[in-house]
Parts: sequence; C-alpha cells; structure tokens
Amino acid sequence: MAGNLLGAIGGVPLPETDVVVDARDVNKWFGRLHVLKDVSLQVKRQETVVVIGPSGSGKTTFIRCVNHLEKIQSGRIFVNGHLIGYRESSGGKLVEDKEKNIARQRQEIGMVFQRFNLFPHMTAIGNISEAPIQVRGVAREEAEETARALLERVGLAAKAGSYPAQLSGGQQQRVAIARALAMKPALMLFDEPTSALDPEMIGEVLEVMKELAREGMTMIVVSHEMGFAREVANRVVMMDEGQVIEEGSPDQVFSAPAQERTQAFLSKIL
Amino acid sequence: MTRRIGGIRPALLAGCLLLAGLTVAGCSSGKASVPTDWSIFWRSIFQPDGLILSGLWLTVSIAVISQTLGLILGILAALGRMAKAWPLRAVAGIYIWLFRGTPLLVQIMLVYFGLPAVGLYDFPTFTIPGINVAVPNAVQAGIVALSLNEGAYMAEIVRAGILSIDPGQTEAAKSLGMTYGQTMRRIVLPQAARVIIPPLGNEFNNMLKTTSLLVVIGVRELFVIFSYKNTTGSTSLQPFALFLACAVWYLMLTTIWGFIQARIERRFGRGAAGAVEEEGFLSRVFGSRGSSGSTVEGR
Repeated sequence: MAGNLLGAIGGVPLPETDVVVDARDVNKWFGRLHVLKDVSLQVKRQETVVVIGPSGSGKTTFIRCVNHLEKIQSGRIFVNGHLIGYRESSGGKLVEDKEKNIARQRQEIGMVFQRFNLFPHMTAIGNISEAPIQVRGVAREEAEETARALLERVGLAAKAGSYPAQLSGGQQQRVAIARALAMKPALMLFDEPTSALDPEMIGEVLEVMKELAREGMTMIVVSHEMGFAREVANRVVMMDEGQVIEEGSPDQVFSAPAQERTQAFLSKIL
Repeated sequence: MTRRIGGIRPALLAGCLLLAGLTVAGCSSGKASVPTDWSIFWRSIFQPDGLILSGLWLTVSIAVISQTLGLILGILAALGRMAKAWPLRAVAGIYIWLFRGTPLLVQIMLVYFGLPAVGLYDFPTFTIPGINVAVPNAVQAGIVALSLNEGAYMAEIVRAGILSIDPGQTEAAKSLGMTYGQTMRRIVLPQAARVIIPPLGNEFNNMLKTTSLLVVIGVRELFVIFSYKNTTGSTSLQPFALFLACAVWYLMLTTIWGFIQARIERRFGRGAAGAVEEEGFLSRVFGSRGSSGSTVEGR
C-alpha cells in the first residue's frame, strides 16, 4: 500500500492560511435539541485532529457543519479563511450563501462517510473521475488517468472496472477516499470511516489514512481508533453533550485525561 | 359466524345463481342477426389494409410522444413538489391534483373543444418539416391532453423513485462540490431510473391503450379505424370480428412493448446487486409484474 497518495494527483494546494479550519462558538439545534454548544476548534495546516466522544456528543454533526451539510444557528466556521455556508449581512447576522457558492467551497473540502456512499451505478474509475469531470471540467482521459493512479496508490488497481456492489467494505472505503482526493482538497473530513467495516478490513483503510496524514494532508477524523490516533494524530479532541471538553496530544488525552468524563469514556472503549 | 349452506355464504350463493341465470338467458336469446364473417378477422390481422396500418402508426406515435412528454413533465413536477421554494411546490401540487383528480375523457374534451372556444389557445396548422406530414388539430390536442394527464401520474412515480435513493448519495455528491442540478442529473435520477422504469413501462402499456379515448375528438387511431369499418362498406356490422381483431392488435403492441421493457430494465440494472435477473417468456407476457390498477375509465 506504500506510495505517494498526493503524488498521484500532482499534490494538493497548500492551504492558504496557517489555520485551515477555524470554528468559533458554533451553535446548532435540531428542533429543541441543542446539539452543538459554543464549539470552537482550530485545525492548523497539515495537522491531523482526531475527534472522539460518546455517540450523541455532536462530533459527527460538527464535522458535517464544516462542509455545510448541516446548517448552524450561530457562530462562524472558516475554512482556508473563507466563511463556510453563509454570508454576513450588514447587521452581522448569518445569511445562507447561494447554492453555487457553497458548492464551490465544498470542492476544497473532501469528505469520507461512515457508509462510503459510493455511487452504485458507476465503476470505481467512474466514481473517482465523476466530480473532476463535472465540477472541475477536467478532460475525461486526464481524470481517468488520475483516477487509475489513485486506485493504484490505495492498492486497488485491479478493481478499476468494478462496481461498488462487487467490492468489499474496505475496498469501497478506499475508493471513497480516492474519490475525495481526486478533487485535490485542502482539507479532508473523515466521519467514522471504519465504523461500518468488518474488523479485518479496518486495517487497510487506516493504512491509507495514515499515509495521507504522513504526506501532510490536513485532516479532521471522527473515530474511536485509538491506535490510529496515537500514531498520527497531532491532537485529540474529546466532545461530550455538544461541547469540546478536552483537547491535547494523544498521549496527554489517552494516558492522563484531565476530565472525569474523558476517563469514563476511555475506560469503556479501551 | 354466518350460517352457511354447503359451506358457502347464502348471499354469495344467491349472487352466483343470479349470474349463472343471466348468462344462460343471454346465450339463449336467439340467433345472431348477422353471422360472424371470420375472414374479416383474419384479413384484419394478416392482411391489414392501409387504414389499419395508418391507425396503428398513429396510435404508436401518439403514445410514444405523449409518454415522452409526460415523463419530462413528470420529472419537472416531481422536482417542483420537492423544491425548497413554496411557489414551485404549490404549482406542482396543484397541477398534479387537477390532472389526477379529473377524468382524462373530460380533459381531452376541454383541451380540444374548450380551449379554442374561449380563445385561450388555438391549435395551429402544423406540418412536420422535412417529411411534409400535416398533424391535424385533433392529434395535437390529443397529445397535449394525454401528456398533461400522464405527467401528473409520472410525477408521483418519479418522486417515489427519487425518495427511494439513499440521502447519503446526495450528500456524497454535494461534498464533492456538485450543484443541485449536477447531483440530480448525474447521481440521483440515473439511480432512481431503476425504480421508475418498471412502473413507467406499466404507464406506457396503459398509454398504448388509452389513446383509444381520442375517439371522442376524432383522431383516426387504431380504435377509430375499426369503429369506422364497423359502420361502412363490406365490413359493416361485423362487430365481433372487427373488435376482436382490434383487440389482437392492441395485444400485439403491448406484448412487443413488454419485451422492449425487459431489455431496458436489464440495461438499467447495471451495478446494482441482484438487479440482473432474467425473466422467463411466460412471466414476461402474463406478468407477475404488479398490475397498474388504473383502467381507462379510471382516468
């Protein structure tokens, strides 16, 4: 699985700002349920941040806000210095941006989903080359060539013509990572990328993610894979009940958590 | 428990007896006034004259055009119903409500006689360029009415198809920077097609037969031709031979369509687990394919 993932796409543009993700006091409600309470988080260029926390803590909701798959009610999220999903009206209120602008912002933010969400009517190559062709206007041959290179780097060169239904979960998730990378994003979001996988397939997906982190991709990863976090995370963020309750280096958080709730949570999953 | 006679409910028994009685009475009510000329039947099938062929051609063309327009209208109306903007939802909702809630026969009359009568719309003299074939007003009106009606039914089918697609598909497309239009066109609709196509085939099967309703505005399609033959010339007063032949022609059309539909469904099954299934000849023709339930009168 070795190889240069980012090399396959000719490298990604280095984020324009030192702080790639800057979330400030983000609040979100689902109806009356307050799911994000003044969440603030900064992710620096080429940093890998792993977000942990019990289910219902808001960690998935939070990263879905980062590419505006979810609306927020207050606060600001900047990616690469641009306010995501909204314009600020003259009165300082948030007004949802035009769909076209939001789509453009999302081009810079790759996302990998828990359930892969590959397009079942397209082959692996088709899945990866679709957005570059449709969105970026890349020529088909060029996009497919890049897709092939990416597939090779995630160890699936032989599966170029396979449909998602013909691939294992681990293979599908690797194709999904390649699909997101093909857009040359400045930031990658991973939403529990290994939670829907059989245990024996988790390793192959984590390998790709580790490689990506080592090559300097900026990443936010929602995951409970402690081995992965220890090995590549620059920071671990613990969320509970819609709040960031603790953050620090993996060693700090895993070995000497400051918060009781972090200790309790870790004792359940380790 | 109701009391039963020989294991059968009394009311059911009475009904059966009445039906049997009526059948016997009908059969024994004397000889047919004109004996059926079977040569008319066989000739209508195996040596169809120009009239029958022209009727056949018109039926198929009207059905294909109306179904195509109906599908397009249906997609637009379905997207309208699911739009964020309420005016779009309202327009689409009212359209579907009106055209599913009134009889097709009335819609046909309204379009052909009603619209020009109040000066809302006059069907122009229209000649297809290139082949120089004139399209009569009645045919235009028929296509308009059938398309509008079909669009309202297709809207619900298309909407069900779109709703059947995992929202994760839309999210994945969005996360890649695709716009709403790109997401629909490239990701959602092609997948929804697999769900839409079986009922769409059913709709077209219906459409082939429903064109016969255009008899009320004098479109010379298949059914009108046979009705005409029943009143004129050497074939007059042979309703059994003629309408049986007419029925056989419709049956041939829908049967051929059944085969075409099977091919289309196979093509759209690409990539879906377990989607590629071969259906035998018999099940294809006699169909375990969930009947549409909507009859011509039902429209």
